[in-house]
Parts: sequence; structure tokens; C-alpha cells
Amino acid sequence: MAPRENSHEPSGTPVPVETGYATLATLRTGVKAYVEKEGGLRKAEILNQAVRGGHLKFYVHYEEFNKRLDEWVSTDRIDLTKPVEWPAPEKPEKKKAQAPKKDVPPRPDQKNLKRSRSKLDREISATPSEATSVNIPGKAPRPSKAGGKENKEIVVTSEVPDGSTPKPEDEEMDLVDVQDAAAQAKAAAPENFSREEEIEKLRTGGSMTQNQTEISRVRNLDKIQMGKYEVEPWYFSPYPIDFVDSEMVYICEFCLSYYGEVTSFERHRSKCTLLHPPGNEIYRDDNVSFFEIDGRRQRTWCRNLCLLSKLFLDHKTLYYDVDPFLFYCMAVRDEHGCHLVGYFSKEKESAEGYNVACILTLPQYQRKGYGKVLIDFSYLLSKRENKLGSPEKPLSDLGLLGYRAYWQEVIVDLLIEDKVEANIEDIGAVTAMTTNDVLHTLQNLNMLRYSKNQHVIVLTDAVIEQRERQKAKEKIKGKRNIDPEKLIWKPPVFSAASRTWNW
Amino acid sequence: MTQRATGQRFRQRKLSTKQNLPVLREHEVEQLQDDDATRHIPKVETGVEKGEEIEHHLQAVISAAQAAAQGGGTVAQLYIPTPDAVQSKLQYEDLYPRHFTQPATYIRFSSTVEDTIGVAYCMTIEDAGWLKAYNQKKGKSVHCPEDEFEECMNFFEETSQTKQPYATVDNAPVLSYEDLEAEFDETISESARRFAKDIYSHWKNQRLLKNNRPLLPSLKFETNLETDDSDPYVCFRRREVRQVRKTRGRDAQVTEKLKKLRKELEEARFLMSQVKRREFMIRDQLAMDKQIFDQRSAVKEIKRKLGVKESDEELLINQKPPSKPKQKNEQAAIRRELPGGHRPPLTRPDGRLVDSDLVYLDDQLAKKQEAIDGFIEENLMKHQKWNVGWVDKTWRPITPPLEQPASKSDFRRVFTSSQLPTPPASVSDDEIGDTISVHPRKQLEPRRSTRIRYATPPDDVPYQDQTRYRRRVGRGGRQMIDRRGVKRQKLEPIEERILDRYKYDGDSSEDEEVYPVDWTDNLHIRYRIMIERQGDKQHAQVAAQNRRAIENHNRSASGHLLPPSNPAAAAASA
Repeated sequence: MAPRENSHEPSGTPVPVETGYATLATLRTGVKAYVEKEGGLRKAEILNQAVRGGHLKFYVHYEEFNKRLDEWVSTDRIDLTKPVEWPAPEKPEKKKAQAPKKDVPPRPDQKNLKRSRSKLDREISATPSEATSVNIPGKAPRPSKAGGKENKEIVVTSEVPDGSTPKPEDEEMDLVDVQDAAAQAKAAAPENFSREEEIEKLRTGGSMTQNQTEISRVRNLDKIQMGKYEVEPWYFSPYPIDFVDSEMVYICEFCLSYYGEVTSFERHRSKCTLLHPPGNEIYRDDNVSFFEIDGRRQRTWCRNLCLLSKLFLDHKTLYYDVDPFLFYCMAVRDEHGCHLVGYFSKEKESAEGYNVACILTLPQYQRKGYGKVLIDFSYLLSKRENKLGSPEKPLSDLGLLGYRAYWQEVIVDLLIEDKVEANIEDIGAVTAMTTNDVLHTLQNLNMLRYSKNQHVIVLTDAVIEQRERQKAKEKIKGKRNIDPEKLIWKPPVFSAASRTWNW
Repeated sequence: MTQRATGQRFRQRKLSTKQNLPVLREHEVEQLQDDDATRHIPKVETGVEKGEEIEHHLQAVISAAQAAAQGGGTVAQLYIPTPDAVQSKLQYEDLYPRHFTQPATYIRFSSTVEDTIGVAYCMTIEDAGWLKAYNQKKGKSVHCPEDEFEECMNFFEETSQTKQPYATVDNAPVLSYEDLEAEFDETISESARRFAKDIYSHWKNQRLLKNNRPLLPSLKFETNLETDDSDPYVCFRRREVRQVRKTRGRDAQVTEKLKKLRKELEEARFLMSQVKRREFMIRDQLAMDKQIFDQRSAVKEIKRKLGVKESDEELLINQKPPSKPKQKNEQAAIRRELPGGHRPPLTRPDGRLVDSDLVYLDDQLAKKQEAIDGFIEENLMKHQKWNVGWVDKTWRPITPPLEQPASKSDFRRVFTSSQLPTPPASVSDDEIGDTISVHPRKQLEPRRSTRIRYATPPDDVPYQDQTRYRRRVGRGGRQMIDRRGVKRQKLEPIEERILDRYKYDGDSSEDEEVYPVDWTDNLHIRYRIMIERQGDKQHAQVAAQNRRAIENHNRSASGHLLPPSNPAAAAASA
């Protein structure tokens, strides 16, 4: 578990931090020092160190900055005249890692006691050792599984007990304890997701992780070349490990295959015949086309897409395969082909009613209004399905802003059409937004007030002015609108056989 | 916070999402700045990870937006800083040629990446260097193109992957060329095979450099090792079959389904066993039949030896006894016997066949038909008798419908001698031989059918060779017989055209002359068209009438129906 996790512990007793002065030689992973960033000094945590190009460099994460701004810095940018914070020693760290686990155990699946019990085995026996497993080689926290295809999962119903598994009687007792604890835990939502919980959750659906261990990784690619652009990746993505040494990773704009060197890439381009996302076009207007792609049918392409988008989505996880998702890819057309601009993925069947799993506009196309088009399209699909939708959580910072802007625009436009009365659920029904999202937006814009003994929706001057300004801007720049008439699409239906995710 | 909310509940109503709320403008609502007013509205989470919500840039943007929403005037639009994307130095036009033409309809596409990228192996810079050196060394005569090189490398890679899937784990040696050569298949072309041996050495070197790991960078999939879970590079794991929720209803449903399946299976099994039993019985029966036959023939042999002159028929118990004197019955019985073992011989305790007492539907129907025919026949004869000695002037002017156009035409004679109107649809169940037998009978009541029908000629005889007759009644009651396709002995080779000309000549009528006619003449063509048009309607009616009349006549004349299987009956009695 990454040491910087404590920095994100929102509450709890503040652990006294040891501070002191450091030299270059004593700097190590976990130390927090002041680093020069954009002309100022910012406290940053050292995540890694390496000799790059003959110089010692440190990979730092600036506190209260998004990880996409993490970077390799040369030693001269680290201000050693100021005291540094030493990482908490190993021992209490271990305790700390253990403690929240006990407080917040996984919610056992009451309907499937057998499974939850085996899960608990691991929870109790394996997790503590897992927390430090990096340092203890040879210790096997997890029993090996049978080689059968179906059995490769993290969660198995029958486990071969090994040394680390508690005795059966202990197990019984623990089970009861944990269940009680779980009941309590339900009242207060868990702040931290345990890894097992996370994986279990992801196994049945979803594509976003809330697990810190999943996402606190050092960025592995320096630069990618794609189409006409060179793009700096933001986050770690599990591209082949060989690419760590590559200065540039070349990604084919159409098939999204990846190459570590330009020779291979040019050879590939001479052979690749794909000119658009490999699926059915379901929408086309003057600006963009949308393609629908089934993760199960286009496994390679969708995997490539996920690898690419992971470079720009922090919470996205590639732990499980792409089968249960549909990918809606937006492309702009020219004589070269249909260039991927952005996409969103969507669970074929979302238990939580999400209409978007991951959503991304490629960085080279950002700030051009494409994000709004993507979001608009996702709601158009929900309207066709006669469902309300909401994006899967957690949202990224950019995601939150994008969605807020869209929600505001849609709701204000709806209310501005000289309505006398409105009802929150109806607004949701018309816009395919969940009640919660409508509420969130109204609240956020300070539009829900209490006046004359009743609640009212207030179209504030500020909101109207903002909308007006936006419209003026759209007039100049031109707005990309989605025309529902141009969508040729029926909600895909998946047979029972294809809904089960084995193959 | 929860406490405070409950405290306030008495003062303010909770916000209902189902209730219609008035939409007001800012100036319509009084500006009471009561912070408590919004407090009881449930706070909605942003959906952003807690740890990230506090991030500097996000907070900056959010607070700016909030300031704007509160009416703080124009605030400079803030952006969250993101790493850059810049124009690439690569020559885009070279890498991505202008190949795309947009179809008029929406694209539908199902090929996969593997289908569209060709050979998966792409040369690295080392490969390119080696290939260049190789081609230089070989001189101009042998030149290994890049495509073939990649084909070979790809083949080596894929084959070793299938043959040594765990090469990375168990340190297997690099496959020998002989091993690879043995695997040559259609994925490697002839032209590429020429270079295979030379490329192998290069491939082997590359593999050795990489500890016999695949040369192409590949994703890390689960290997089922414990290291999988902590390895961030392992991705795209398989998912389990999703668990369906268990409910009592579903359980019951499943039980019902199983029960039904079980029942159906039982039924099928029972059916099968019954079928099996039946088949066994049939087999036994066949064996019995054979035995009976054998023994009968044995008896026959013995009878021959002993010189017993009695009829062999007596031996056959399951033979219908020829007790009834009527010929017809006997014939029928024999006929019934003929089809063989289809009807198992049923005998009564007294030895007689049950069959003999049975009345057959066929016979009954025939009898009925006979009675009706007889009645009609009788009446007809009676009618004729009444009219004996009388001249009926009423029917004479009525000429046959088809002849009518002819009578008006100036060319009637020509037509009557050679132009045959299309014969009416003929009766299908009579054989060609019957046509002849029609003639004598026809003489009896000439008024009944003024036109002659044609029997259906056998299909296999070409139209030209079919023998056809027709009788027509001309003016004044003259009767004319036309015939066609009658073969005469050829005395000398006659020119075909002349033969054709005299086709309908002969004994039809002495007083008629032959007029050579040009069939393509305008007049004739028009005439034929006229016949077609006029004849069509009446034709069908008349044909049907005629057919009925002739059928009836056929039966009534012979007194009873002749058994159609005369030869078979004869054979049985022999």
C-alpha cells in the first residue's frame, strides 16, 4: 500500500509527523519536500527516484494537485533549505493499514453466505500480510487456484486451506463478528474501499476504481504519438512493460495498436486498412459520427481503447476485461478516415443505472466543446431507452466540471421556457437525468430557495446572464449540437447467454 | 447535522421532488438571506473522490463558478491545467493516406483489428538493419521484401507461442529450425519460405537476446500466479459468470421446469420402448410368414409326390373361399389378395374371412353411380322414343358455338377442312384407347354431343405424331370426321411439305377439296385471333358439359364399370 495514503486520510487522529532537514542522499520514497513548481514552492511527496539521462531525478506528487501534474524533477528543483517530512515508520504504518480494515469490513453478501465466507477468510488472514506483502517475499497470502478456466477469479467459492487460513472454529466466530460490524458499517459509508471489496464490486460491473492502491502509480509512458499529435500521458496505463524505456509510444489512430518504435509503427501503417472505429455507425451529422462497438465482439480494439484512455483517466481500472461494455466512439471525418475524438463506455446492463462508465475526450481535442457533445449523446441514448441515467462514480475533476456545465445548461434552458411551475422529477424525466443530479445542479447553482413558506426554484440573474453569455459565444464559435433525428439506434438487447460473462 | 435537520423539520417542510415548485425570477423572491433556508435540503455529493475534491485547481474552478452563481459578476474563466498535446513532427500525410470515402448510408462494420492489420509482426529497427545487410549480401538476384520477412518472423513467433506457451516461465530453449519447418502451413507463403532458413538465424538471435520471450511487446494477462494481483501491468482479467439472484419464485420455477423436463423425457422413453416392441413383433411376424410359406410349399411338394389333384387353393387358410358364385366378387377378392402382406389376414373362428362380409365403399359408390347413370340413360332413351318419327326443327338452327364464327366467315370451308380449333380440355382419366370406343356409342344419340372431344394423348408421344380424330357436324347435319397424325405406310419418300398439306386428307369427306392455305396470311391470322377471343368463354363451359356427358355415357353403355386392372386379375387367376 502506498505510503501517501495517509495524506488522504480525511479524519482520524492526526499522526505526528517527523520533520527535519534532509540531504540529497537521504531523500527517499515517501519523503515530503518542497519542490519548485510554476515559480512557487509546493510541498510534494517523492514517489520514485531514478537516474535518467545521467542525472538523479525524483518523481514527485504535489500535494493538492491532481496526479496528472506529477512529474520527474531534477534535484535542483527540490528546496532542501526547508525541512522535509519523513515518512511514518514502518511499524505504525502497518498498524494503521490494519486498523481501518477492522473498522470497515466488507459487507457480506447475505444471500451468498458461502462466498462471503471465503471472502472473509482472505479478509482476515490474507489482508494484513498483503499490506506488507511487497516486503515479505515468499509469503503466499492467497492459496493457489485450480487451473480451470472458470476458476481464475479472485473470488472462489472453495479454497484450499493453507497455513495462513484460520481454523474453522475461528472462522465461525469471526463471521459473526464481522457481520455485526458490517451492520454498523452500513450506517456510515465506508471511506476506504478495501482491495477485495473493490475487486468484488468490479467483478460484477463498473469500470471505475475507488481504490488508492489501484491508482497510485508512477506514470509509465513519457509521450505518445497519435495521429497528428504528440500527447503527454497523465496517468499510468498497463501498456506492455517494454515501453517503459521508449521515448515515444506510437499509437495508430484507427486501430489504436501501439508500437514502441517508429520503424515498427511505419510498417504497421503500411499494412493497416482500418479507417474508422470498427463498429456500426449509429449517428452522423455534419461534424461528427458515433460508432457503437461491442466489447465482446471487438475485444482487441476495445482493449486498445481502454489502454489509451487509461492514460488520461485516473480512476479507470483495467482489472477486468471489456466484455460487459459497449463503447460509443465519437469521430470526426475527413479524407483520411474517421478520427477518434472521444468516447464513452457503457455497461450493457448497469445494476446502478449508470448510463456512462468512462467518458473521455482525447487531450488533443479537449476544450473544443466535444465533451458536452459526448455527454449530450449519452443522455440521448438514455432517452431512447426510456431510462434515467447518471455517470458512474467517482467522477474526475474534469468530469465533474463537464457534467455540471452540461446539467446547468440543460436545466436552465428547460426552465427558461417561461415555465411557471416545475417539478424536480419531471425535469429528470425530460432530460433523462436522475433526480439526484437535478437536485445537485439546482442546489449548486443556488436555485433552490425557501420563500413564503414553500420551496421555490429561482432562475437567478447570474444563471440567466451566464446562459446568455454562453449563447452569444456559441453564436460566434458555432455550437455542436446533437440532432436526435439523426440517431439510428435501437437499444441493443442481449440474450441471457451473452449476458453471462464467461466465454 | 442530522440532529439539526430533525430540529428544523417542524419549522420547514422537507423538499419533495414530486411536488410542483413555482419557478421564479430573482426579483420575484424576497431577498432574505437566511442561511438556514437551504440547510435542510439534503446535500448531494459531488461524486468526486474525497481525496481529490480538495485539489487546488478543482477548488479554484468550483469556487469561481460558485461566485458566478451567487451573482458575483464576471469571473475570468478558469481551467484545470492539463499536460500538453502538441503537433507531431511525423509526416501525417505519408502515414495516413487519403483513402476514406464516406458512404451515403451509415457504416456497418464487423471486421476485427486482427482482420484489418495484416501480418501482426512489424519490423523493428534491428530487423530493418539485418534485412538490408542480408539483401546486400545476397545481391540483386535474391531480394527479400519486407512483407515476406515479416511473414516469416510472424510465423516463427506464432508457432513458438503455440508450441511453447510457457517459454517465459520455464526457460525453454528456442525452437530449432527443424521444429518450425515441420509446422509450415498456409499462413506462410511459398515466396516467404525461401527465406525462412536465413531469417530463422536472425529470429533466434533476437529471441536469445530477450530470454526466449516473445519479440512483440505484449500485454500482461493473468498467469494464475500469485504475483498477478500486485502486478499493475496485469490487465483484462476474465470475469466470472454473473450470479443470478436467488429468490423463492425462481427456485419454484426451476423445479417446475425440471419436473416438466423429466415428464417429457419419460414420455419419450415410453414411446421409444413401444416402438421397439412393435418392431420386434413385426420381425416375429415376418418370420412366421416365412415359415408358413415354407411349410405350404413343402405341402405342395408332398401333394405333387402323392399325386393329389386337388386345388392348391384349399391349403391357403387365409384365402377368401370362392364360395360366392359371382365373378365380380371373386375378382375383387383376388385383387384384394394381391397387394400382399399389407393386410394381415383376419379370420373368424369359423375359418371364414371377416373380409367377405364387409361392404366396400368403392363398390357402394360404384353402385350408386350406376343407378344414377342408368336413370339418366333410361330417360334419354325414352325421350328419343317419344321423338321418333318427329322432325325436330328446334335444334337444327343452333349450330355449335365454335362453328358459329366459321359459318359467318367466307372461308368456312377452308377452315373446316384444315383448321382445327383448339381441342377442348379432355377428360383425364380415360386412356387413349377409349376414344375409339366412343365412336360407335356416339351414333346412338347424335344430339347429345355435337362436338367431339379428344382424349388425352400420352405425354411421351410428340404432338405431331399423336393420332387425333374429331367429328364435326356441318350444315344440313353432315358429319365430318377429321383425323390427324395417322401413320400411313410410306411408299415413297414424299416431300415433307406436301405431306403436311395432305395431313387431314383422306377419308374425312369425299366431297371436300383441299385448298392450300398460306397460314401467315393476314386474313388467317386475324381469324385465329377472333377464334381465340370468342371461344375462350364458351369454351370452358362447353368443355365441362361435354366431358360430363361423355363420362356418364361411358359408364352407362357398358352396364357396369370394368375393372381397370384386367391384366392383373387375369394373372392372379392363372
